[in-house]
Amino acid sequence: MLRFPTHRPLRSIASISLALCVGLAACQPHGGSTSNPSARALPTEGQLASLPLGALAGAAKVLPAEEVSNPLEGNPQAIAEGKRLFVSMNCAGCHGYGAAGGMGPNLTDSYWRYGGVPSSIYKSIFEGRPQGMPAWGRALPAQDIWKIVAYIQTLGGALNPQQYHAGLQGDHDVTSTAPELHGGLTETFNQPRMLSPSTNAPAQ
Amino acid sequence: MAMRISTEWVIPVRARWGPLATLIIAAAGNLAFADTTSSNALPPPAAPDVDQQLSDATADTSPNDPPGEWRRQAGDYANTRYSTLTQINRENARRLKIAWTFSDGAGYGHEGAPLVVGAMMYIVAPFPNVAYALDLSKPGAPIKWSYAANPSPLAIGKACCDAVARGWAYANGKLIYNLLDDHTIAVDVHTGKEVWRTKLGNVENGETMTMAPFVAGKKVFVGNSGGELGKIGWIAALDVDTGKELWRAYSAGPDSLVKIGPEFKPFYDWMKGKDLGVSTWPADMWKTAAGAAWGWYSFDPTSNLLYYGTSNPSPRVPAQRPGLNLWTSAMFARDADTGAAKWAYVFTPHDEWDYDGVNENVLLDIKIGGQTRKVLVQFNRNAYAYTIDRTTGEVLVAAPFAYQNWSSGFDLKTAMPVVRPDKEPKPNVKVTNVCPPDIGGKDWQPSAFSPRTGLLYAGIFNICMDVTDHPQSYIPGTPYDGMEMTRTAGPGAHWGEFMAWDPVKGRKIWSVEEKFMTMSGALATAGDLVFYGTVDGWFRAVDDRTGKVLWSQKLGSGIISSPMTYLGPDGRQYVGIYAGVGGAALVSKAMPGFPPRGSTLYVFSIDGESPSSGPGLLTTEAGGAAMHADATQTGRQ
Repeated sequence: MLRFPTHRPLRSIASISLALCVGLAACQPHGGSTSNPSARALPTEGQLASLPLGALAGAAKVLPAEEVSNPLEGNPQAIAEGKRLFVSMNCAGCHGYGAAGGMGPNLTDSYWRYGGVPSSIYKSIFEGRPQGMPAWGRALPAQDIWKIVAYIQTLGGALNPQQYHAGLQGDHDVTSTAPELHGGLTETFNQPRMLSPSTNAPAQ
Repeated sequence: MAMRISTEWVIPVRARWGPLATLIIAAAGNLAFADTTSSNALPPPAAPDVDQQLSDATADTSPNDPPGEWRRQAGDYANTRYSTLTQINRENARRLKIAWTFSDGAGYGHEGAPLVVGAMMYIVAPFPNVAYALDLSKPGAPIKWSYAANPSPLAIGKACCDAVARGWAYANGKLIYNLLDDHTIAVDVHTGKEVWRTKLGNVENGETMTMAPFVAGKKVFVGNSGGELGKIGWIAALDVDTGKELWRAYSAGPDSLVKIGPEFKPFYDWMKGKDLGVSTWPADMWKTAAGAAWGWYSFDPTSNLLYYGTSNPSPRVPAQRPGLNLWTSAMFARDADTGAAKWAYVFTPHDEWDYDGVNENVLLDIKIGGQTRKVLVQFNRNAYAYTIDRTTGEVLVAAPFAYQNWSSGFDLKTAMPVVRPDKEPKPNVKVTNVCPPDIGGKDWQPSAFSPRTGLLYAGIFNICMDVTDHPQSYIPGTPYDGMEMTRTAGPGAHWGEFMAWDPVKGRKIWSVEEKFMTMSGALATAGDLVFYGTVDGWFRAVDDRTGKVLWSQKLGSGIISSPMTYLGPDGRQYVGIYAGVGGAALVSKAMPGFPPRGSTLYVFSIDGESPSSGPGLLTTEAGGAAMHADATQTGRQ
């Protein structure tokens, strides 16, 4: 169910959505969808909320982002519904009908300001972003957002969860890596250390 | 072919559309413009008539600012963009060279022109709208002060067509400009401190402000953007000294909101009737009508009338809004003191292609049938050039200036276009090769008028589109749009063209074809020159009579701003132009040679001479530092 705070224009939205939903499968009056194409559990809000934007302080590895995958990834029905939502929720108006960008960024290339793994894309949609991306977390059910993510994942630019670090390091399209980076000196230096906040000195 | 609209919607006054009558241009001694079958073909240009005035059109150049200054974007109230300066002229234009430059550091498209008042130059950059005052009396034109308001970055994602600022205004010692996030502010030009700030709208609703405020007398006029996000359009008058909102008129809704009252006298019957801004829409859809007033404004001080246009209707899926959709894709003449509408004209009723009516209305006096008529000329998005009696709203001339195939002609009796059914967009169907595209035969890039030739000069487009409509629901803050488009060059494969136009005969006199879009404004001067620039960065000076290109200079980015000219404190004439591509020119960004973004003002003089260059260790003294010079580091862009 589409949940908005009570607000006059939304009664028009509901009626227009209803009008648009006539003839389309699996439409509820408030513009969401009813189908449940996957039995896999969706990640919880708390789990997603704890995922950082960017890199962890101390350059620690971010395991949680690597663990969170899109339960609807690759699901044809979810992808089709995600594509429909991409138009009906006006995503296409900003990101383009081919999602190649316009008022909003290109979602088909491998440049992701806020991260290109599924959980990052989910969070950008759920939370909104400061340069005009609206926050859909209260308006769309989690399932619908994962459907949209599933659609975006078919467009060629999204990363796999395991590529979260590679994404941060600009390694989407890496063809070779300097040998020093293969578990050598730099890895030793980058072991996470607990910092003592009061003295700004590393704890011994 | 009759104009087709849905018959479900009863409108109080319905114009009669019969079979198409022959298109006629009512002007003494003119050719009847073409039959319907060849209405897409443009009449051949007239032979150039060197050193003769080519039309007897004239203009009132009030308020007649000092000739060496450039105090307003359009040059004067009538929007002539004409300068009386002659130091730079046909004979020496080939010696133009760069004298000095200024980079404001902002990446978004640069669409405004610097203003010069006395020995000071004023600039407002695109988002985040940092303002600069440059001291022209010192070598290198150093910064005297710089002011940074703090517009909300949310506005960036609500601007349909780049985070631009299309111009700024000067009045009473104040620099007045719009922030992208719906605030109009005034900064004292002597101190660089903010004097007043007025909030006009809420950015999270999808409303932004990109237009150049227009000053006339003690008022500044501003309007909104947001035609692609379903925001109802409006124009407002603010007091120049306090910023207090004096009146606001909307572009749709009941007459009380549109400020239509007993003094409203439209020329044509189909615009007469009560609350047409409601009844020409399905129930309540006027509330998301758009009709944003984001373009250029002009003013006639003798009649006290303000002229401006309104954007497309919303959503951009006409099937969702049967009806004539007043008062979108239209223009108004309003009393500047009260906002009361005197007349209106709707260029493209039930606009199906995004043909906004916001382009500049140049106020001219022309002789038609032996009589002097006070008119305005608009090169509309729909590819028609209109000459309209500006006292009554009567259309005197309507002739295509660019390739178009959406209409098979124009019925001068009703002043309505005759729509071709095969070029009407339909939901979920790709309609191919519709010309012009949404951005029109000409977009907002403004034309110039020269009283020496009586001609208008404009950069225009030769572009077509394939369009598929997708029905949309309205979600505030998101696009209420629905047009999926692919744009390509029109016949001949060139995207741009710079032309001279006779507003009396409704006819092109000469034109220069350009590979890239010509999306700059035009500047005409008494040196018999016209200046314009291309999207790939060529800045050109052209003979105003023959169209011969006398000089070109490649700049560091594409040009979508307007040229201006002034006399420096050193007594030399300079021509200034910004190079910073963006805006709607980005539709052609895949063309080889499409340039990167730029943020540089180029100022030219004969032989590049100025106090800003020469032998030896030149230095200067500045008054202030650039605000937020570290903008990209600190996330302010």
